[in-house]
Amino acid sequence: MFTELNSILNTNPDSITPGEFILISDRQSDASFLIHHFLSFYLKARCKVCFLGLVQSFNHYHAVSQRLGVSLLQAKEKGQLVFLEGLSESLSVLIPQEDNAGSQAMDFLRDPAAGLKSLYEFVRSSLNSPDGAEDWGPPVLLVDDLSVLLSLGVSVGAVLDFSHYCRATVCSQLKGSMVMLTRCEGEEEEDEGDDEGSERLLKGLTHQCSLTLHVQGLPTGYCREIHGQVEVCWRRRPVAGQYTPKKLFQYKVHDKGASFFAPGTSSAVL
Amino acid sequence: MLTELLHGADTGGFLVIQDSTSCSGRHLLESFISAALNREEAVHVLGFDVSEEELTGGLKGSAIERLHFHNAYTDPLGWTDQPSLTLHQFCSEELSHLLKPTSHSKSTILVIDSLSWILRHVNPPAVCKTLHQLRKGGAVRAIIALLHADMHQRGTVGSVCHLASSVIKVAPGMKGDETVAKITKRSKSGKVVQDEEIFSIKEDLSVTVHSKRSQPGLKQTETEEQEADPTANLTFNLRLSDTEREAKEKLALPFVFSKEKKSALLHSGPGSGRILYEPDANDDYDQEDPDDDLDV
Repeated sequence: MFTELNSILNTNPDSITPGEFILISDRQSDASFLIHHFLSFYLKARCKVCFLGLVQSFNHYHAVSQRLGVSLLQAKEKGQLVFLEGLSESLSVLIPQEDNAGSQAMDFLRDPAAGLKSLYEFVRSSLNSPDGAEDWGPPVLLVDDLSVLLSLGVSVGAVLDFSHYCRATVCSQLKGSMVMLTRCEGEEEEDEGDDEGSERLLKGLTHQCSLTLHVQGLPTGYCREIHGQVEVCWRRRPVAGQYTPKKLFQYKVHDKGASFFAPGTSSAVL
Repeated sequence: MLTELLHGADTGGFLVIQDSTSCSGRHLLESFISAALNREEAVHVLGFDVSEEELTGGLKGSAIERLHFHNAYTDPLGWTDQPSLTLHQFCSEELSHLLKPTSHSKSTILVIDSLSWILRHVNPPAVCKTLHQLRKGGAVRAIIALLHADMHQRGTVGSVCHLASSVIKVAPGMKGDETVAKITKRSKSGKVVQDEEIFSIKEDLSVTVHSKRSQPGLKQTETEEQEADPTANLTFNLRLSDTEREAKEKLALPFVFSKEKKSALLHSGPGSGRILYEPDANDDYDQEDPDDDLDV
């Protein structure tokens, strides 16, 4: 959890805005440090978290979270965290073994044209089920990352349907929050004619979400002291007079956290 | 022209609000809903994009009773067990059935939020057909639709906009809360009017139009050029009066070689110094080339 980012977004684990849909996107850069931030943030806020980890193994997320002061293993055991390990799940779908039936969540791998209804059912059931013993806070869905689904043969429309259903259930019905990461490969293109899938996905998700964090490399090229820039964009109706739709920050990722600063005010420059 | 559209779109009108990721048109859509409600009209919303709470959050007062929200947000594809409105119901028969409860069909406005959701699942010709039938069917007085233009191919956007009687394209303005609206309006006589206006939306969803620009871009550059006059506030004088000019012309400049100067230099007056040189006996003085010893 990065406290600097919390103050930028005006939140802290004790007071979470309900119904937020935060979209993290990156272009020729890596925004996964933000996913780790939100994972530890919501676990510290005692939310019930459903994490769809499609790019890395559980051990990877666990190792990073431990550095940020949260144990995923414990959270999983307590029932606070529901983790879908995309890598091993998809393997059990592709190479079925008799003793391991695998969950229904990755059913779209068998027939990508059928859509992501099964994955949505998984999210809904894991966030809905009353877990008896402990009473957790508002539910949170985290996805790392959505563009992997495109590579697995799912169409852009199906991914947008999935995110729409998740938003309707998690944000509107259960008053929880949602954080999704999506990646864009190429340069920003002005030509609207032949949009790549990831570009269309980003646009569609941007129309749905309430806050975007767009991570880019520095336009001037590589720098050792500044790892890139984040554009924060609020898409909700402004609150009484405060009109700040966009802010730009530069960031540097440290071993156990990250620092954010206004462009040009890096400690290496000043 | 924007205020004109807000205060009662003409009967049988079809208004499209086009937005993109850089500028959301939802606030403008909400302003249109609020304006229609204030006119005592019944508003039916086909809500795909946002929930009822989110859409009606900014609306206040008793007028909300006349707003009928048809919830296609929670389950548009019928994935859960109890869908209230699905995409399959987007055809003119089903929709006119939906709109029936309000008796005054003369003052019913259908709001589609958003057309993009429908266009993603239903093929464009079918959507256009339904829209056309709705317009001509007489069930509604006007249709207002939001369209995320950057989500679709240009041809799809074009064919929907050809159906529309008015198209408002929103784009981010220069200052914080200002939005630029490019309006194209087709009147029934076939005349097409284009206009560009800058507006902002207050918290009570009222629209304030700041300036009207009939020829976009032209006026602004003119004023900029006027402002950028470099001779406006100088600390010195750039022009000469007649006396000043005379004085200037009288003055002899140091590099001008006049007769007086020449004579003064050649015939130096008494008392000035001069160089006398008497060659030594040892000097190898060459008469023909006196400068021989200079190493040139």
